[in-house]
Amino acid sequence: MTFLTIEHLEKSFGPNRVVKDFNLSVEKGEFVSLLGPSGCGKTTVLRMVAGFEAPSAGRIAIDGADVVRLRPNQRNIGMVFQAYALFPNLTVAQNVGFGLKVKGTPRAEIAARVAEMLALIGLPDLGGRYPFQLSGGQQQRVALARALAPKPQVLLLDEPLSALDAKVRVSLRNEIRAIQRELGITTIFVTHDQEEALSMSDRVVVMHQGVADQVGTPFEIYNQPATRFVANFVGTLNILEAEVIDPSLGHVRLPGGQARLGRPLPTGRVTLAARPEMVKLGAEGRDTALQGRITEVDFLGSVIRIRADLGGAVLAFDTFNTSHARPPRVGETVQLGLNAADLLVLQD
Amino acid sequence: MKKLLAWAILLLGITYFILPLVGMTEFSLSMRRGVYSLDAYRAVLADPRFHQTFGYSVIMALLTIVFGVLLVVPTAFWVQLKMPHLRPVVEFVTLLPLVIPAIVIVFGYIRLYNTSSWLPLTGTTFGTNLLLMLGYATLSLPYMYRAVDTGLRTIDVATLTEAAQSLGAGWTTILARVILPNVLVAVLSGAFVTFAIVMGEFTMAALLNRPAFGPYLQLMGANKAYEPFALAVIAFVITWACMGLIQLVTRFSKHTKAAR
Ligand SMILES: Nc1ncnc2c1ncn2[C@@H]1O[C@H](COP(=O)(O)OP(=O)(O)OP(=O)(O)O)[C@@H](O)[C@H]1O
Ligand SMILES: [Mg+2]
Repeated sequence: MTFLTIEHLEKSFGPNRVVKDFNLSVEKGEFVSLLGPSGCGKTTVLRMVAGFEAPSAGRIAIDGADVVRLRPNQRNIGMVFQAYALFPNLTVAQNVGFGLKVKGTPRAEIAARVAEMLALIGLPDLGGRYPFQLSGGQQQRVALARALAPKPQVLLLDEPLSALDAKVRVSLRNEIRAIQRELGITTIFVTHDQEEALSMSDRVVVMHQGVADQVGTPFEIYNQPATRFVANFVGTLNILEAEVIDPSLGHVRLPGGQARLGRPLPTGRVTLAARPEMVKLGAEGRDTALQGRITEVDFLGSVIRIRADLGGAVLAFDTFNTSHARPPRVGETVQLGLNAADLLVLQD
Repeated sequence: MKKLLAWAILLLGITYFILPLVGMTEFSLSMRRGVYSLDAYRAVLADPRFHQTFGYSVIMALLTIVFGVLLVVPTAFWVQLKMPHLRPVVEFVTLLPLVIPAIVIVFGYIRLYNTSSWLPLTGTTFGTNLLLMLGYATLSLPYMYRAVDTGLRTIDVATLTEAAQSLGAGWTTILARVILPNVLVAVLSGAFVTFAIVMGEFTMAALLNRPAFGPYLQLMGANKAYEPFALAVIAFVITWACMGLIQLVTRFSKHTKAAR
């Protein structure tokens, strides 16, 4: 049975439909990311789960119980904000203990839980400090501990890493994931950073203009994008417009050559896409060869980034640098190899 | 040359403020012919009416502050959180007491709450005291509201509120444990201004016929020579003590650096 269920969720601000028929089922202990560009409605979905916004329509259930009518302070949900939002007048320990104190937990129990939480986030000695005496990363970890201390049923994180610098961001994301695994807490994580979403999540929801375009594991999202938007938003892609020669056999003509996809295709034209890492220089060992002229060679050290003109489309790909193979030169005509099975057929 | 001019202007300013104070203090000490003495102060402090009126006004001031805080903090919080578009309207309303003379307000009160009205507050001592306290709260509203509103702007009210809510806090807890402590410095500065206003207020107390410090000051001023100046110095010291307390509170609040 799913633990958190969101069904047909809708939200409009005046005439503006911000979330449209959003559906999601999250298993207990699962880590799900909402990924999408700015303004696609990620925060709005999260705020409806937390109870800060009332849905225009739809159902949200946690552990079988409908929570839509509950106020935020009745939902038992932990929330971490992009801006940390620690209480500036309270020490770290008081911040972490806030939720328990509100519940009327005995003092000794609060102290024990606070110590446990501070150890969990790796800041056991900072309980007496005030928020302004902490770095951004430390503040966000305290915010995480504060959200987790009252043992919420669901943890919601709204771009918790966006305000941090790159190095802290990467280490903290690993830490958050480790803590989440250890506690087995059901988590929804909002981000517009695809790397964050792919690396942290059990499943990713790619959102686009208020709609969940695709829900799947990071592997599925990356390798089998369901829509053109998902394919474009996650990772880089080479787009190849192709003409279908034989719909039943999946035989197409595309810039620089032909390919046999071996799956049925619609008649007419289709849009195909190839991830840069699926393309290689030279066609040996690959079932599809495309002819192109090298237009750009960027030597980046371990990797050489190459762009080739296929006559109507540009194919970008990377090859590893090896000391014995010389890189291609600009203007050279080359064979580019790939497997037809790796070509994605994009729908709108 | 420029520097000299600056110093001259500064000196002029200081003289402008200090000289009357010095004169006043000097005069208050001159009750005994030929030598400085505290006789005037002794006379004032020995007067039982001084104790009565002073005590009455202090209590009224404290009640006014409590009432003002309970009225203004939730209001300013709510306006900031839920209806920021109404802020100019609320601000305008809170500024009205600066425009409408106290005498107009108190006559309005007397008309509205006299013994033959729907709510005869002036009929009892308690009712009149209540009315006076509400009047004081109105007079201090512009300062209190400004102070609290400014304090609220230095913290992220919306996010802190949501954080507290998600941790299970209701509105009372949020106001008492999150909002109030974070605007405490602002609230206190509003409170000290309120204190100073109530201690010196004359019109309302006199027209409602309550034994407050303001009317007593006025009475002394009309009838005595040296004592009023001693009283003025005392009132002045109280005001300055309030100012000093504001500074002290600001200094000692540990977390104010967090507020940007
Ligand atoms: N309270 C509100 N009133 C009116 N419109 C709103 C409100 N909150 C959000 N919106 C609109 O809803 C849309 C989605 O907003 P939302 O904050 O959910 O986006 P997001 O995906 O979280 O974006 P970001 O990555 O920038 O945080 C935006 O177009 C925004 O302008
Ligand atoms: Mg957002």
